[in-house]
Amino acid sequence: MATTTTTSTVSPGPARPLDGRVPKNSLTTNRGGFWFVLPFLVVYALFTIIPVLYGLGMSFFDVSLAGRPAQFVGLDNYAELLGDSQVWRTLGHTLLFTVMSTVPLVLVALGMALLVQSGVRGQWLWRFSFFAPFLLPVATVVLIWQWLFQNDLGFINNTLAQWGLPTVGWLTDPNMALLSTVIITVWWTVGFNFLLYLSALQAIPESIYEAAAIDGAGPFRRLVSMTLPLLNRTTGLVIILQVLASLKVFDQIYILWAGGTGGPEGAAAPILQYVYDSGFVNYRLGYASAISYFFFLLIIAVSLGQLWLTNRRSANRKGQ
Amino acid sequence: MTAPSRRAFLRGTALTAGLAGTGVLGSCATPITSVGAESSLQYWNFFAGGDGLRMIGLVDAFRAEHPEIDVTATTLAWGSPYYTKLAMAAAGGRPPDVASMHLSRLPTFAEHLLEPFDLDELAELGITEADFPAPLWQKATVNGELFAVPLDSHPFVLFYNTEICDAAGLLGPDGKLNPINSPQELIEFGRRCAEVTGGNGIAYAAADAFVNWMMFWTLYSQNGGTLELPPGGTAQFDREKMIEVLTFMQEFTDGEVVSQTADAAGAIAVFGSGQAGILLTGEWEVSTFLTTGTPFSMQEFPQLYGTDAVRGDGHSFVLPRQRDLDEESRRNAYLFVASALKNSLSWGEGGHIPAYGPVSESQEYLALTPQSNYREAADKIAFDPDAYFSGSGSSLMGQAGQILAALHLQSITPDEAVDQLEAWLNKQLATPSPV
Repeated sequence: MATTTTTSTVSPGPARPLDGRVPKNSLTTNRGGFWFVLPFLVVYALFTIIPVLYGLGMSFFDVSLAGRPAQFVGLDNYAELLGDSQVWRTLGHTLLFTVMSTVPLVLVALGMALLVQSGVRGQWLWRFSFFAPFLLPVATVVLIWQWLFQNDLGFINNTLAQWGLPTVGWLTDPNMALLSTVIITVWWTVGFNFLLYLSALQAIPESIYEAAAIDGAGPFRRLVSMTLPLLNRTTGLVIILQVLASLKVFDQIYILWAGGTGGPEGAAAPILQYVYDSGFVNYRLGYASAISYFFFLLIIAVSLGQLWLTNRRSANRKGQ
Repeated sequence: MTAPSRRAFLRGTALTAGLAGTGVLGSCATPITSVGAESSLQYWNFFAGGDGLRMIGLVDAFRAEHPEIDVTATTLAWGSPYYTKLAMAAAGGRPPDVASMHLSRLPTFAEHLLEPFDLDELAELGITEADFPAPLWQKATVNGELFAVPLDSHPFVLFYNTEICDAAGLLGPDGKLNPINSPQELIEFGRRCAEVTGGNGIAYAAADAFVNWMMFWTLYSQNGGTLELPPGGTAQFDREKMIEVLTFMQEFTDGEVVSQTADAAGAIAVFGSGQAGILLTGEWEVSTFLTTGTPFSMQEFPQLYGTDAVRGDGHSFVLPRQRDLDEESRRNAYLFVASALKNSLSWGEGGHIPAYGPVSESQEYLALTPQSNYREAADKIAFDPDAYFSGSGSSLMGQAGQILAALHLQSITPDEAVDQLEAWLNKQLATPSPV
């Protein structure tokens, strides 16, 4: 649910021998391997696969948290959600948040990584400072920002007022609600993308730069023509992880506005909060399941689309 | 209904509890009986902060009275996380033996998930209808049966800073706040306090859904308004009376004497630090100001319109439905409820009005000030309208609170506010009910 997944950087996996033959005793072919994987499979089935299937089943029933026996309703829940304006409104918020957060989360992370890599003094301090907020639990992050954003007493508005600038309704103005969430999220999670970029930067061999310098390429040329293209793979990875993570936005918004309805006039309510509200606040578990499956399909479509794009791009590159 | 001041904690735990906790319900509900104990009692509640400490005190008192009973008290985050778990545990057939519940949430739960109390068994333990304020007992009764034993009622109240109000000339010779008899007088009191503080006159969390709802429901009830929510039908209410109240609420938060944007924590901080003369919120905030040392007192929310009523709710005990009823645990649940009621003087220190007559009429409670100043509110409680989406922490509260916040910000008119509320209510009534 956090806006950054904790997947590590892409590892190419065990290298296959060049002749294409699979070695006899690899973990994937050895029958003993199964037993090593089994404990994970059991947990995975118990806590992921079975609940996922169970949830899918629930979406065809009018399951109620209030204890009324459930009845099969076919596709009624799905028909209802297509006509439910709140589904579309909250979906819009989630998509808007994804766009608004992914762009700065990629660009700011890249900028910070380039700064740190450029050889500033006290590199460890910068690295630590940029990454530190990511280590904080979401509740702590939100609590800090709640007081910073506070309308009448908050640090930011107080400072603005001291400078003679108009104050901003960070948490009370419907037009600001999503932006405030983005600011919090960027501050909180940019460190993770920063780390991905930094490790990618450190993996670029120094010799390439030396060669370029000898050829007369200036710092800007080296950045645009060498560093950025060499970071392509990382950028692709960061974007994919970030889009998937941003689509799952829920907790900082839920906590920021104390449950409630997702900010002033519901202007920041993400679709996952509508799922939560339908199921757990309004007791309609069946309907909530249907909305989550609708959203799930959308995420799968996005992922497949991205996979297709990346594949096509790398295929093009190979063809050149 | 733990207090807004404890929200910080709730916010922190709500999510983890709400999302992660559902998977382990089955195991939570299993009674864990320690070796040597005669019998056991599982008790779930949602009290954190000061209420949490006082509830632990009640549980400990029960342990001392009945050392042979092994009590396991589990505290969960207030609101949907708590009710979700309780509902799921009850639906699964292995819920706790006794649980806390807001009376405003009772009708939905009573339908399928709870069992009624046996009045004879309660009477044996000294608990009868005559011991309770009528509105509480009535609310605890569903379809003619008693499904909850009320522990307290907790109304919307008025806090006032005695020094500021004194300087503003608003105190009578007895040191109490002069009576406020109309909406305009409340505004006038705020203005006079603002002259003393040089800033806010009245601290009011205009951005907080809960406070907005308490204020609205109090004023609308005082104005004689009602709200009927028939499933499958349309919302029935008095538009004129609602507009009158909303017009006042909008005028009330003028941005000078009363902030249009303060949130719950902000309003409490402003009053607690002596920057406002009056605070309108729930009585449970009393502990906060006893701690901060603010010179203050409390009273009932003033009657501004024709009917004497105030929005409130009540904490109560319920018996979740068991698949395999253990008679002994059920008996223990009755004993625990009786013990908690009889020891509820300490509960009253936290601001809640004890529901049990022998306590709320005792000399000890009457001597407890400012907590007993507003005890008569217990007889005037206006509960939230009946609907599965209504009550403390419900989506009605959230939705209406949000509309009211926009009203306070002057971004919608009272007419638009009523239209929005009506549209939302009718949409809820039109969707299939989960009850």
